[in-house]
Amino acid sequence: MKRSVRIMTAMLPVLACAILIGTAGVYAQDMGVPAPAATAAVSAQPKIDTGDTTWLLVSTAMVLAMTAPGLALFYAGMVRSKNALGTIMQSFIILCLISLQWVLWGYSLAFGPDKGHLIGGLEWFALNGVGLEPNADYAATVPHQAFMMFQMMFAVIAPALITGAFAERIKFSSFLIFTLLWATFIYDPLAHWVWAVGGWIRNLGALDFAGGTVVHISSGASALACAIVLRRRLGYGKEHMAPHNLPMTVLGASLLWFGWFGFNAGSAVASGALAASAFVVTNTAAATAALAWMIVEWMYRGKPTVLGAASGAVAGLVAITPASGFVGPMASIMIGLGAGVLCYLAVLWKSRLGYDDALDVVGIHGVGGIWGALATGLFASKAINAAGADGLLYGNPGLLGIQALAVLISVVFAFVGTFVILKLVERLMGLRVSEEEERMGLDLSQHDERSYS
Amino acid sequence: MIDLQRDCKRKRQGTLSVVGLTIVAVIVGALALFAGAVAAQDTAAPSAQVVAPVAAPVLKIDTGDTAWVLMSTALVLAMTMPGLALFYGGLVRSKNILGTIMQSIVVLCLVSLIWILVGYSLAFGPDKGGLIGGLEWVGLSGVGSEPHPIYGPTIPHQVFMLFQLMFAAITPALITGAVAERMRFSALLLFAALWSLLIYVPVAHWIWGGGWLGKMGALDFAGGAVVHISSGVSALVCAIVLGKRRGHGSDYMAPHNLPFTLLGTGLLWFGWFGFNAGSALGANGLAASAFLATHAAAAAGALVWMGVEWAHRGKPTVLGVASGAVAGLATVTPASGFIGPFSAIVIGVFAGFLCYFAVVWKGRMGYDDSLDVVGIHGVGGVFGILATGLFASKAINAAGADGLFFGNAGQFGIQTIMVCAVALFSVVGTWIILKVVHAAVGLRVSPEDESTGLDLSQHNERAYS
Repeated sequence: MKRSVRIMTAMLPVLACAILIGTAGVYAQDMGVPAPAATAAVSAQPKIDTGDTTWLLVSTAMVLAMTAPGLALFYAGMVRSKNALGTIMQSFIILCLISLQWVLWGYSLAFGPDKGHLIGGLEWFALNGVGLEPNADYAATVPHQAFMMFQMMFAVIAPALITGAFAERIKFSSFLIFTLLWATFIYDPLAHWVWAVGGWIRNLGALDFAGGTVVHISSGASALACAIVLRRRLGYGKEHMAPHNLPMTVLGASLLWFGWFGFNAGSAVASGALAASAFVVTNTAAATAALAWMIVEWMYRGKPTVLGAASGAVAGLVAITPASGFVGPMASIMIGLGAGVLCYLAVLWKSRLGYDDALDVVGIHGVGGIWGALATGLFASKAINAAGADGLLYGNPGLLGIQALAVLISVVFAFVGTFVILKLVERLMGLRVSEEEERMGLDLSQHDERSYS
Repeated sequence: MIDLQRDCKRKRQGTLSVVGLTIVAVIVGALALFAGAVAAQDTAAPSAQVVAPVAAPVLKIDTGDTAWVLMSTALVLAMTMPGLALFYGGLVRSKNILGTIMQSIVVLCLVSLIWILVGYSLAFGPDKGGLIGGLEWVGLSGVGSEPHPIYGPTIPHQVFMLFQLMFAAITPALITGAVAERMRFSALLLFAALWSLLIYVPVAHWIWGGGWLGKMGALDFAGGAVVHISSGVSALVCAIVLGKRRGHGSDYMAPHNLPFTLLGTGLLWFGWFGFNAGSALGANGLAASAFLATHAAAAAGALVWMGVEWAHRGKPTVLGVASGAVAGLATVTPASGFIGPFSAIVIGVFAGFLCYFAVVWKGRMGYDDSLDVVGIHGVGGVFGILATGLFASKAINAAGADGLFFGNAGQFGIQTIMVCAVALFSVVGTWIILKVVHAAVGLRVSPEDESTGLDLSQHNERAYS
């Protein structure tokens, strides 16, 4: 009873804020509705294209399917059966929580009018002025709200990826607060720097087509901070902690692959040649990386594992993400090959370094994301996307330097920021469940349910 | 176990003749209709082409709009199968999962044929007195690839028909949650066929096919009344007429595989974008707006259910979050094309709250609505239709109307009439259909079959070996 009171005190402000802001939002909306129409009349009247809008709406739904049920099942299959629901819950509730955060202030902070190249303003708070007319800066042929939704799904999946690092041991209430803070103070600024008009990393000329830096490096580096601060699971290295349901993981990996076409090819924000090209390289890199991981593992350990093939595919998808709109199919084979080998080694070395990144977020998203961002600096070509830049192999070594700088900045920012947030939450309410609760499993201790009866 | 199976087999032989007769009757009826339809189509096809130029407003197919509605159709298919099948399948005991999955799948197949043969014509065909569509479009006669001026002027008419087919299919599939773990398979087939023709089709016509509620100005964007009230209220009747499961309240009946249920939830959420945003029948601003309203309400519904449950019972459950999301989605369905994102959040908040208490109160009322169709779809649907009368705004959709909060109290009255009419019609109709089916083949499996489980007793299979 005492605990539930404490939990409620933690939850109440969140809910109360949401509802209060919601009410405010209704007013903002009422006043905001005519405004975009007026703006549209002034600018060159961007027109909605039905084909582009269809593709972006479908892509949005597909990226939703990546988080829930894709990632939820991918991760849940890898934990022990006593933690399966707790793990699924984390992805699902992030979807709900960040969706509201994004609609209320996240989108405005990330994509709103630039303030000093560092953050978006609060002018678009509660979608004020984010209407159905296209916004020429971001997507000239689709309703602005559709672009906002598409970006929302990215903001959702980034913190959901991190949950793999603290699986099986974080307290649910602390996890909620951490997620909300992480989204607001790490994801939103980073998305602004890299993607928003006026963002300083974008101004440097760094290329990130679909979120290698914003989504994968940020979640990978933050996952490392989480694994270090939360320490190892009880019995790590001594007890048997094999995945409890690998078919579930493979189902999740397949849904991730399926949804990733929306993630990457949808990032063209139009249904045209660039989307087709991004679609091709996404599939090619995933296939190559799965094969590469399988072969390296076969040589190194004697057997090709199913979990290895699934991990390899995800590593390839991660690595191609920032490059997908700038490289051709042959380059994507090289990127996939590098991803399969590098991420395999990173996962292998994890055990030597001693941190307990339970579901390999650092090895796959961190390392894969960094490799992808650097590979963009190698293989990018203006022949594929005139709006991009040439990479090192096309005679422009400067791009590789810029990409390396972007990687360094985002790794440091995400790692340090996450570390600070975690310490804050730890002091406020503690991060880990108690020892008995951890032995009992998150399903029963945090949610009072069992996965299988 | 072998004894048990042999026992089942003997029993089955007893009922085999009845079951066989029913199924044969259904199939023969369908074939006869089909043959008639093919003949009708062959003669009618040219006449439709003649009519089109006369009607003159040259309707052009838009590739983007068509792509969106085709995609939405596939999304809604994924809601029924595998979405709803696994959502319900995870909630039952392991001895009944195949029987539960089977119900969704076979309803999809059965209603698909009924819809193509007669259902679409009766629901959307030329209006007869505001009550029902005519038989002019039987067997899709005259439903070709040219757009229909009202039903999606920029997409082929058959695409609209298919999109609507998925709605017709999911509605009886939703009801199966109320009869879970105890209904005879042959009875379910007969019930679904009759319910689809006698309840779903008229209601769809009244509201969407040019019937009396639609003419009155009733607003139901994507099926709050047509799909959720009709299925939720019918589910209540089913739960009462069928009676409780054996051991309800005394035996342990926990969901056997919650990860399945969450997989189903994810697929329902994913598919609901097609359900609601696809109902804009084009890839335009309205679709984007409905997409956003749908998502916002689902997120709010899940969070509120979680918060209320946490405060009320001490723990936030995963099943609660799944139920809250579905409650938010069901509730926002009728409103999704008429409201902005913050009205959607408010609707989601109330959906989570109301549906949670509806499910809690079920225990006190004593009926065994096994998988909470009444609490989620019935209560959510009713609230959603009423909320449309409150929050609808012409600023979002000029083709709609203003609700009470935007100064038009009349709309709320119309929405109330719609709730009462659809609920009353569904209650009476479902009760009669159940009695007829009971007299024809019997509704429930025998007590032994029930304790054996539907998987072995109805389908002679095991889910897990």
